Amino acid sequence: MKSYHDIVGDGGSNILEQVADQKERIARALSGVRHRVAVGSGKGGVGKSTVTRALAGALAGRGLSVAIADADFNGPTQAQMTGLLGAVPLPGPNGIDLPRSRDGVGVFSVGGFLGEAEPLDFASVSRGDSHTWRATREFAALGEVLASVAWGPLDVLFFDLPPGTERTIQYAEFLGDGAAFVLVTIPSEISRGVVARSVAALAPRRNPVLGYVENMSGYYCADCDRVKPLFPEVRDGVALDLPCLGRVPFDPGLAFACDRGLDFNDLPDTSATRALSAIAGRLVESLETLG
Amino acid sequence: MKFLCVPCDQPMKIATVTPPDRGSISVTYSCPACGYEMAMLTNPFETQLVSSLGVRVGPEGPVESDAPRCPFSGMVSAAREDAPVEAPAGVRWTPEAAARMQGIPEFVRPMAKSGVEKFARESGHEEITLAVLDEARARFGM
Repeated sequence: MKSYHDIVGDGGSNILEQVADQKERIARALSGVRHRVAVGSGKGGVGKSTVTRALAGALAGRGLSVAIADADFNGPTQAQMTGLLGAVPLPGPNGIDLPRSRDGVGVFSVGGFLGEAEPLDFASVSRGDSHTWRATREFAALGEVLASVAWGPLDVLFFDLPPGTERTIQYAEFLGDGAAFVLVTIPSEISRGVVARSVAALAPRRNPVLGYVENMSGYYCADCDRVKPLFPEVRDGVALDLPCLGRVPFDPGLAFACDRGLDFNDLPDTSATRALSAIAGRLVESLETLG
Repeated sequence: MKFLCVPCDQPMKIATVTPPDRGSISVTYSCPACGYEMAMLTNPFETQLVSSLGVRVGPEGPVESDAPRCPFSGMVSAAREDAPVEAPAGVRWTPEAAARMQGIPEFVRPMAKSGVEKFARESGHEEITLAVLDEARARFGM
């Protein structure tokens, strides 16, 4: 009797072939993207989106062609951070054209058309069991986004990832070996521990992990123009065995700019914006080593 | 999943896929050698798992499911494809503008339509024309 592997196809639906076709469409759509950079952490609330938005703005300010795919469908923030609330993708000659921020960053974010207080909900015939299919559905939706957008030639496409160590590894697998990772942490021992888990989870994979950004590394006091500690100093803490791309002090001005979707390159020159610009420079250098 | 006709040792082929009923899809298979037919009846859980992959079931084109194919339809129920041409707020689409929106893949279209209608209302347009679409593109930095 024939076994499963003796039979070509599945009788008509060709489910596996459809999934393979989806991957080919994604590869075609991203063929003009030089570098894919996933900004993750594992830990929530450390500023992944802020760092993503700032790095994208800084690179655009250097003349690079940059876009952001907001992969955090359940907590999308990039539309607001880039001043694109209400902006929707529209048809262009080669696919969906993306809204662009004032500093020239193309952005796909569900937050652009999902009400601020609305949770993302997927239609389902199997209510009550979403824990079994929800992640699959989200990745299928992300795949459709990636395959349908006219990304065009890009120097860098950032992926703003959702929190969760398991999500970090899922996105690494979904985006493939060519996607580089930047991890974001804050100075707390707890955060560094979670990020260390993400580093360990990524270790068996071929994805380049370019380094980490320590966000909220003290806070910038505009009154005294100094950076003061925000978290207690940790001695003998968890070591992150990867390069530190830079440390960004908490800056209320940066938080305000993100809330209002201001142009990153119009922000005042502060220790935070200087740190982010320097990180952007190190990121470019790291990416150049990848070819 | 594959089905084998044991007496013939032949893989069975999908013959029909019936419209879903309360989340269940009925797929009939037949043996190309002996013609024997059997049906696979999915439960809603199975239907959901397969549809979450973003694939279609059946030999010819998409099969309508209880769950719309648009993965975002749950959050844009007011902007479904079956919405009337005249939106509740009174914004109308010209045939040319509606046709251009067909260039957007299905899963994004409801969101894009809803967004354009909002833009049109806020811009004081009662009718969405090609010119309004171009105006929206310019507003959104495209």
